Amino acid sequence: MARLISFDIDGTLEVGDPPGAITMAMVRIAEGLGIIIGSCSDRMVSDQTRIWRDHRIPVQFTVLKHQLDTVKAQFAADEYYHIGDTNMDRFYAERSGFKFLLTGAGVERLWIPQ
Amino acid sequence: MPKVIPAPDELSKPFWDGVNKKRLLLQNCAACDAYQYPPRETCATCGSVESLGWKEVRGRGHISSYIVIEDGRLDRRMPDQPYNLAVVTLDEDPGINFYSNLPGTPVHQVPVGAAVEVFFEEVGPGQLIHEWRVTR
Amino acid sequence: MTAQSQYRWRRDKEGLGVWEHRGKVAVAGYGHSPVDRRWDETSMDQTLGAYSILACQKAMADAGVTPDQIDGVICCPTTIAGASGGAASNWAPRPFFDPPYDSEWGLTRVNAQWLIKQMNLRNVKYAPASAPTIGEMVGMASQAVGDGLCTTCLVIYPTGNLTGRYRRGGENAEDYAKGERQWTVPWGNHGGNDFINIFPHNEYCLKYGGAHDDLAPFVINQHRNGLMTPWGFNATHDVPQLTLEDYVTSRYILNPLRLWDCDRPVNASAAYLFTTADRAREMQQPPVYVLNHSQHNFKQRSTQPMLDEIETWTDFAARQMYEGSGLSAGDVDIFNPYDGYSTMTQFYLEAFQWHGVKRGDAFAFYADDIRVEGPHPFSSGGGNLGNGRTRTSMYTDSIEQLRGTAGRRQVKVRAETALCAFTTPSSGGWLMLGKYPS
Repeated sequence: MARLISFDIDGTLEVGDPPGAITMAMVRIAEGLGIIIGSCSDRMVSDQTRIWRDHRIPVQFTVLKHQLDTVKAQFAADEYYHIGDTNMDRFYAERSGFKFLLTGAGVERLWIPQ
Repeated sequence: MPKVIPAPDELSKPFWDGVNKKRLLLQNCAACDAYQYPPRETCATCGSVESLGWKEVRGRGHISSYIVIEDGRLDRRMPDQPYNLAVVTLDEDPGINFYSNLPGTPVHQVPVGAAVEVFFEEVGPGQLIHEWRVTR
Repeated sequence: MTAQSQYRWRRDKEGLGVWEHRGKVAVAGYGHSPVDRRWDETSMDQTLGAYSILACQKAMADAGVTPDQIDGVICCPTTIAGASGGAASNWAPRPFFDPPYDSEWGLTRVNAQWLIKQMNLRNVKYAPASAPTIGEMVGMASQAVGDGLCTTCLVIYPTGNLTGRYRRGGENAEDYAKGERQWTVPWGNHGGNDFINIFPHNEYCLKYGGAHDDLAPFVINQHRNGLMTPWGFNATHDVPQLTLEDYVTSRYILNPLRLWDCDRPVNASAAYLFTTADRAREMQQPPVYVLNHSQHNFKQRSTQPMLDEIETWTDFAARQMYEGSGLSAGDVDIFNPYDGYSTMTQFYLEAFQWHGVKRGDAFAFYADDIRVEGPHPFSSGGGNLGNGRTRTSMYTDSIEQLRGTAGRRQVKVRAETALCAFTTPSSGGWLMLGKYPS
């Protein structure tokens, strides 16, 4: 079953500002499991690309916060998730047909067996 | 729409009392015949205190400008986003303006320059606010 | 030490003539702390208070003065987030720390009294308790030095930002709107210069022609200048250069106001050292002379200020500044107006008619060559948009341009006068600086 997880950066990932609860190691596990991963953030696309390159994590999309619909159009999956930390993350995720998950509170259980 | 509820104070109570009776009362200065809104302790035009009273206006106006709130900060309004926020000028004194969400006007489809009329919307138990709608 | 709460230092009227202390007061030093996005809640050497002390130390070192020479301290005790800052504007109710961080002072607020105590400034005789914002404090210091209330005066502007999201929570989470908010919040306007300026900006586009995204070249150039500002947030945090595509694809906050039209709240502090021109000539740096300071504070007619009011207000500010400095638009070499939201800057540019820009001309001007290397090096400091919401790059860049030390931002045109401000159209102040006293 194909699964796609979109990560917000600031307030969500450990490298964000503010730092969030999702570590890059957790993201790497998701990538290793074959989950379609990428980022969806207010950061410039070039900035998002730099972050993933610096951490040597190959991602399949880097889009602006209000452009999640393009991700859904581009990638076929059975489940679409967006993990973020703000109401706007939720708004754009749900508008684009993604299930929104709030960062923290063990959200990584979605892909890491406990 | 779960709008934030205005909390009247001593100065604004006559205004909100009027709104709750579906009347648009503005401060008016008997000395210089100027309207003012929001209400103030003194007349902004001539400085008079004792000449300030309340006068009902017809509640007709025009849309002068608008924006669409897409990422506001009010918890109560977040479910409404995106929504229109227009500035309406009063026909009786275009120097007076009001905010309006223009209920009934689709988001992004605000006819700038169009005529509007006031109506009253309940936002809390027994508390109305003045809203505006485009007249056809 | 005196507070001098009744001291009349403002120059906020027309008809005052050329400033009586023109060229007799100077800026002799400046200093910046690092610019962080937020305080991390643990590093006590990175608090707003610690950063303010650091900025003062740098300003004194720049000028070559010692703490015992400081006899004036002016510091704005407000927070960046203000009353509607929500959860990010106060440390409480979280537990405080050991002194000197056993209250909000030093964490979210800094004032002259706190700084004097922490820095052991024993000879301060002028430290007003009700210092306004940086836009007015520089005028307050100029006048105080000119009038002889003090001779060596530090002006400090701290801008704090804590964990949490700007303006989230606090009264923006409440169900009721009290006070002035009862006239705006029920319809969704929670206040701020984003709301204040976006409606007149829309009117501007309609009146003069043009579209919102005509601001793009200006915003992009602000980022470019910011990346050439070594102490700024963008330059120190690997923020990439904003591109046209980045700008026009960015999401809307208050449509048509985009994300990149807004500045980034930061945790930082800056300090400036004002002194007499005579003393400044004995100090370490070439003096930058104060040629005039001015203030304005207008009340809007109704709920929302409109374009005609804003043009009237900014025209007034320009007339009184030019009158007090004895200069005209053609005399101003460096122009650093405020850009806390990109939508307000055109109002200042056109009011002051810098490089001949008149009402309705700003967008065409932005589309021309406004790079620091070019003929119209507009807002050479990069402003808040290029450096984070420090509200100080306008001053620092002006000083550096006149000293000739702006590095990669150094303009190629003449740099003998500079006009700078932190101001909104309705309230704030302007400062005219000169390489020469007259």
